Amino acid sequence: MSDLDDFKATYFDECSELLTELEEQFAAIEAGERDAGRLNAVFRAIHSIKGGAGAFGFSALVGFAHAYETLLDYVRDGRIEMSDDVVTLCIRANDIVADHVKAAQTGEALPADYGMDEKARFDALARGESVAEDEEGGEPLEEFDIEFVPVMVHIEAAEDETHESDAFEAAPMAFEPGHWEIHFRPHQALYARANDPLLLFRELAALGEMSVRAVIGEIPALADFEPFAVYCSWEITLISPSLTEAMIREVFEFVDGDCDIAVAQLGGGLAPLDVAPAQSLPLEPGLSDLLALADDEVEALLDFALESAPVAEPAESVEEAPEPSFAALAETIKPSAPIAVARVPVEALKPATPVPESEDGERRNVGVQSIRVDLDKVDRVVNMVGELVITQSMLTQQMDETLRARYTELVRGLEVLAQTTRGLQDSVMAIRAQPVKSVFSRMPRLVRELAQKTGKKIKLETIGENTEIDKTVIEQLSDPLTHMIRNSADHGIEAPDLRTARGKADTGTIRLSAEQAGGNILIIVEDDGGGINRERVLQVARDKGIVAADVNPSDEQIDQLIFAPGFSTASEVSDISGRGVGMDVVLSNIKKIGGSVHVRSWTGKGTRMTLRLPLTLAVLDVMLVKVGGSPYVVPLSSIVETIQCSRAAFERVPSGGKVLQVRGEYVQVIDLAERFDMLTETEADNRFVVLCEAEGSHKVALIVDDIIGQQQVVIKSLEENFERVDGIAGGTILGDGNVALIVDVQGLKTTIMHKTAA
Amino acid sequence: MTTLRVLTVDDSRTILAMLHHTLSNAGFEVLQAEDGKQGLDMLKSGEFDVVITDINMPVMDGIEFIRHVRATGQHQSLPILILTTETSQDKRDQGKAAGGTGWIVKPFDPEKLISVIHRVVH
Repeated sequence: MSDLDDFKATYFDECSELLTELEEQFAAIEAGERDAGRLNAVFRAIHSIKGGAGAFGFSALVGFAHAYETLLDYVRDGRIEMSDDVVTLCIRANDIVADHVKAAQTGEALPADYGMDEKARFDALARGESVAEDEEGGEPLEEFDIEFVPVMVHIEAAEDETHESDAFEAAPMAFEPGHWEIHFRPHQALYARANDPLLLFRELAALGEMSVRAVIGEIPALADFEPFAVYCSWEITLISPSLTEAMIREVFEFVDGDCDIAVAQLGGGLAPLDVAPAQSLPLEPGLSDLLALADDEVEALLDFALESAPVAEPAESVEEAPEPSFAALAETIKPSAPIAVARVPVEALKPATPVPESEDGERRNVGVQSIRVDLDKVDRVVNMVGELVITQSMLTQQMDETLRARYTELVRGLEVLAQTTRGLQDSVMAIRAQPVKSVFSRMPRLVRELAQKTGKKIKLETIGENTEIDKTVIEQLSDPLTHMIRNSADHGIEAPDLRTARGKADTGTIRLSAEQAGGNILIIVEDDGGGINRERVLQVARDKGIVAADVNPSDEQIDQLIFAPGFSTASEVSDISGRGVGMDVVLSNIKKIGGSVHVRSWTGKGTRMTLRLPLTLAVLDVMLVKVGGSPYVVPLSSIVETIQCSRAAFERVPSGGKVLQVRGEYVQVIDLAERFDMLTETEADNRFVVLCEAEGSHKVALIVDDIIGQQQVVIKSLEENFERVDGIAGGTILGDGNVALIVDVQGLKTTIMHKTAA
Repeated sequence: MTTLRVLTVDDSRTILAMLHHTLSNAGFEVLQAEDGKQGLDMLKSGEFDVVITDINMPVMDGIEFIRHVRATGQHQSLPILILTTETSQDKRDQGKAAGGTGWIVKPFDPEKLISVIHRVVH
């Protein structure tokens, strides 16, 4: 059912926000801010998660959330102190809730006993207190019924008739099934809470064949009439073969406590109950129609009462109420009339038409400050704006000098169009932008756990958490960041005694920062640990055949080796950074979103890992080049300069490879035609060198046949539409409809490096 | 036939979405608020036939919301249903004491929800 799917999507969306909220609240709570506001926010978040989970039948989640919520409730009440232990337990509980949410979302089952230990600890904490509410956690949650609450049978003794209740209980059992008698007397409170006897009668009438007798003997003389007092009660018989007491009780569910009610089976037919009604007075048929009384007159009284009700506690305010004038009512109610009785036709009690609307014109929608839009819709706009940007740049390109000179107005128009398009693009991108806070806020917990597990002292500093990045980038950022921080804590930061021995503070610091740098976002994970042990890294790399024995990489190249596939220096697989995945996963995840990772290390001082991420994934500034007759694009951000081959200083290295000498530096040369197996007819001297900077400021010289120019392109994923191709980062459709492949400079370099190494 | 106007007050988007779906399918006109404060503002701006409110909400919770509604003096006969996951009598009594008309236990069953509304609205 698609509606349900929609709701689920909304729910999981909401859950992820609530979980982030929990992280933030607990970060503050941990820092010592244990005020009621934070506790309430935490309670509400868990409560909302539980509420939605119930709606979808995620019973494991509901069960755990309920137990957690109960604990929080006790903390709110002050029955349990928010000690450090409790905070730690709560943080653990947040993780469990998050795991349950994830399991519900993916449909993967968690172990049946998952979180049971924590649940047991909630109970242990609550021990000594009343834990009655906890029992509710085990309730069958599939139950969608309105809760039925048993109603106390108690008829307020009217006058001297005090035996009803007892008589009810002692009543003989020879009853005809489905014949019921009900005595009902509302209290003032019933009206004060906007309940209405008429509606109750309507409900009852829907259950079976009904007759109603109004007992109005208590209506006093006009002079004694209290506007808020209730003078009327009713005796009802209800007949339906399958009618049970529970069904009748359910009708009165909402007015429990606000009325006197008695329900008993009739001895047979319409024979009188052996219990006398509150005031058994002679009938006076035809006095008035019961409905008329129940509806019009009682309502008239009620309306009057309500209008003149002061405030707050109408039920309490009877005494203070002003003496009303009953001129109108006196016409219809005869104060001396002892009883009104009527047989009410069942049809008359069928649900009435809704009350008419009023003040239609004055109605307006309020409270809307923001809208929620499906990401799909935004993506569509982003894509279209991307296409617009390209069309615009194509138009600009196709304006040749003659046209420019002749149609100045057109040129001006195009310039305005270019500006507006760029502005539109920025605005659209801003819609998708989110602060990195949502990811950063998960890290304090991670660091805390890591510190516990490793026995190290670690503190986390975060900087620039309000820096905004595209939502899809943020979503992809969590895993890599987690890995990098794990790496820093596990391999970087030293044990406290070693740190002291090295003359450092015993607490290590991991600094996580985000900043915008041009068209990129830099996310930096920095630690003040021991730095990368290069000898060991190189040794492992050689052992694993990642680096050939005769190759002597530079320090920076060695540092970068930690991102090589299958690389791990941990001598034994710990459950912290082990887990069978290494930093290569970080690299591939980051590359997937068009970013790059660079690591720098200072022996004994620390390590810095820099993630460079694109601000947006959709549009890329590129240089359009030609290789073997086909167009390719190279991301502009990686290009350092372009040189005509005839002017380039190539040199041969002994192995036969070609290098380019640029300002005293030797740069590896990659002929794209060769690399992509294309035939080139361009003369060697007429070709171009595109000098690119790959990660770690390593340069690579790409040789192409021709350089066409700069432009913007909309990136289309190759993996989604075709498959991953080494050395190609994606594809794009050019203004003339041709497809061009985007060269993955970093990727090219890595493959070459492997070739050399192997 | 005139349409019943329902105001739903809940801080959970999921619940709001489900209420909206269920109620508008049943032919009600549905307006929604995210907390008690917003709910009060909306009550000031128009007439409603029934209100459905959550208890646990930021800014102004459901109990306080109901108290405020009843205190205005204009909404004494407006049925207010409390939508709650609380099954405890205690919470229910609190809601009732504030002036709540009835309650709906989360998760709600669409048919039951509609029938409960009919139970309190003319």
